[in-house]
Amino acid sequence: MKPKVIAASVIVVVFVVFGAYSFFDSNLEYTNIEGAMKKGKKVQLVGTWNKEKDATFDSRTSTFTFYLIDDAGRECKVVLAGAAPNNFELAASVVAKGRFTGEGTFEASELLTKCPSKYEAEAADVGKAG
Amino acid sequence: MIGGILVKLAFVACILSILSYAQSYRTGRSVFLTLGRALYHTTVAAIVTIAALQLYLILTHQFQFTYVWSYSSRDLSLPLLISTFYAGQEGSFLLWTLFTGIIGIALLRYTQRHGAESTVMAAFGSITLMLLLMLIVKSPFTYVWETWPGEVAAGFVPAEGRGLNPLLQNYWMVIHPQVLFSGFAAMGVPYAFAVSALIRREYESWIRPAAPWLVFGVLVLGLGIMLGGYWAYETLGWGGYWGWDPVENSSLVPWIVGVATIHTMLTQRKSGAFIRTNLALSILCFLAVLYSTFLTRSGVLGDTSVHSFVDPGMWVYWLLVGTIAVFGGGAVVLLAKRWKDVPVAPTKHSSSSREFALFLGAAALIATAVLITIGTSAPLITEILYGAKSAVDISYYARTILPLGIAIGVLAGLGQLLWWNRTSAAEMLTSLRAPVLLAVAVTALLIPFGLSDPLLALFVWGAVFALVSNAIVGYRVFTGNPRFMGGAVAHVGVAVMFLGFVASSEFDTTETVSLREGEPVEALGYLMTYTGYQQQEGERYAFNISVERDGRSRTVAPVMYFSAYNNGLIRNPDIINLIGRDLYVAALALEEGGKAGQEDLERSSFQQGEKRTMQGLEVMFLGFEIPVVQPVSDGGGERRRIGVRLLVQVPGKEPVLLTPYSRAHRGEVTDEPALYDDAVTFSIAGVTLPDTEQETPRVEIVARKHTSGAAGEKDILVVEASVKPLINLVWSGVIMLLVGLGTTIVRRSRERPASRGGVE
Repeated sequence: MKPKVIAASVIVVVFVVFGAYSFFDSNLEYTNIEGAMKKGKKVQLVGTWNKEKDATFDSRTSTFTFYLIDDAGRECKVVLAGAAPNNFELAASVVAKGRFTGEGTFEASELLTKCPSKYEAEAADVGKAG
Repeated sequence: MIGGILVKLAFVACILSILSYAQSYRTGRSVFLTLGRALYHTTVAAIVTIAALQLYLILTHQFQFTYVWSYSSRDLSLPLLISTFYAGQEGSFLLWTLFTGIIGIALLRYTQRHGAESTVMAAFGSITLMLLLMLIVKSPFTYVWETWPGEVAAGFVPAEGRGLNPLLQNYWMVIHPQVLFSGFAAMGVPYAFAVSALIRREYESWIRPAAPWLVFGVLVLGLGIMLGGYWAYETLGWGGYWGWDPVENSSLVPWIVGVATIHTMLTQRKSGAFIRTNLALSILCFLAVLYSTFLTRSGVLGDTSVHSFVDPGMWVYWLLVGTIAVFGGGAVVLLAKRWKDVPVAPTKHSSSSREFALFLGAAALIATAVLITIGTSAPLITEILYGAKSAVDISYYARTILPLGIAIGVLAGLGQLLWWNRTSAAEMLTSLRAPVLLAVAVTALLIPFGLSDPLLALFVWGAVFALVSNAIVGYRVFTGNPRFMGGAVAHVGVAVMFLGFVASSEFDTTETVSLREGEPVEALGYLMTYTGYQQQEGERYAFNISVERDGRSRTVAPVMYFSAYNNGLIRNPDIINLIGRDLYVAALALEEGGKAGQEDLERSSFQQGEKRTMQGLEVMFLGFEIPVVQPVSDGGGERRRIGVRLLVQVPGKEPVLLTPYSRAHRGEVTDEPALYDDAVTFSIAGVTLPDTEQETPRVEIVARKHTSGAAGEKDILVVEASVKPLINLVWSGVIMLLVGLGTTIVRRSRERPASRGGVE
């Protein structure tokens, strides 16, 4: 029974370490530009769209480029692989999933927009009944 | 009113039923047994009435009820209208309660025949009671004026409901939730049996009556998961059938635990081993359901998921926490108290026995369930560790589960080849030879086709090994006693499904393609031409793309539209399903010809009387234009229309007065832009009301310039096209797995119980 117990314990320990490592390695932190640059790995960059600058879709490379301002007021260029979500213009804030490349461009694989949600109903929606 | 009373009636009847059953177990007097039965029947009768009432309120559009108002509207078709029954949290709890009640009645009859009725029904009654308590806290029968006291006048009946989320408006919504909640309800049965066994100190006899219920639960839940996956793939356009989203994971984890328990229960029946394991796992099956419910319903995941989880409020949160504490804590304490008392069968089996393979398989499955649970709970864990919620990247799941998947594949083959107790080395070698060699050959053949990742190659090897082993065993069983085919068929299904996972997700190719109307573009080996769009029902648009390959042409028509309800774009992909692969096309965006390329857009914010230069024009905001007669209501909610008077001027030209409008109807905002000189359109982007009375409202105006010469330009449709090879393996594998489980239930339910256990 002894060697079996040892073998089982080794497997369990390896499993736990591997699981914990994967967990922390895959954890996508919400961060700002400075944090994302420091991390170097894939993060979720939170900010708002700089409406002063162009936000364009390049149909040749199928990428969407815009400028993002974070909570610290820093700005960076974000290149999204794909088209912008169409509620982009309405978005109060955006979350870009991706990482920084060498030239200070944030390459995003996914762009989520946070819009004032319509899920939560308010009394006013029911109709003026007052 | 009646609804709330009925819920409380059911609740009281349920408590009394549990107490009567408990008393009947303690005293052994049959009068309490009869009473418990009658009271449980009363409970379920009340639950059925509640559900019927809820359906009646929905069908007759009783919008004075917050639930009915929140999820339905008059324009829904009958099946969709019925489906709003469970579109919201309260309703889905009611559906779960209803199925639990119905299963409870079946269980009552079943235990009446097979024994242990009083304790099983007391435990199952507690589950029913927990759900009823949830309905009391979060009642589907709240009036709108109770939801917003002081804001909505008592007795007010809204003319129209808010409607059903467009994402849910398809036939999957009509069938998927019922199946899933039937599965959730059925997973409570093994729990009830295990708790009953612990109370009675009858640790062995409960497996036989409990097993068919467990297999039934796993079958139904599996079917529900598959339907959900297909829904996500075919309609929701999540890019695949599985996205490791919390909602998906939360139904997968109980299923995996259930599958593991089926294996350990089988072992106990064959060799008497794993008595403690079975008690613990049967309890865990239901706890996994509860924990999943907690994760997805309590709002703890916050906004880390693509699903919108409305925070249900503190009451529901604590009730869910309390439920887990009571059911989990209670069962764990009971198990701990009895732990030493549970007999341990002497280990007769060697490590080359079927028992050992089944044990390892179950361990690998439980480890998988644990990893998925940890990944799904990431927002909770990170909040505790760092104080901020964040999710794991979905690559976490594939990479942690892959090694376990290899083990599961190998064990799914090995377990079938080995004998109970022990297998001699010579026998093992003979039976292993063909599957091992065949799996090596197939994997080696696939390596030149891009199967280069060693772990992935091992996974494929394991799956092929399982496939071949089970095909051999299945054939042998088939020629002997086909009724025992269930296991082999299910395992072949798992192997086929695994191969389908690899093919469709590791060897898929995806491209984002820009299609200018009428101009063919070559992508993924297809010649694609965007031929224009057509309007479907409502404001939905289907974009026609002709797809050509080898001289054969077909049309795909992905749908894309803006949903005011979700305040976002909704995309329904279109799929060409071929035997060997799927071509999946989702529309991403439409670049209209007029504004193709660089769009010239300017926005400015104005206060009344201010002047700005936009697109080279001098623009002045004169004031608001509010139509004197506001159409108050047309039975479809309120309409509001507001205009902004702008004076537009260029030096040397007559000034022009323009009035763009913004129309709001049922929360949907429509723009009515105004055009200046066929060159610039002005539209309202937003109106900000002032914080103080001194200020005047601000308007935000967008001016779009039509670039000259662009009028003749064609629209560009941006699509995401993807080829998913052999995805049919996934579906056929899942179906085989479910058929295998079904076969097992049929066989088990034909077995006569070992002894008539009607002693109460």
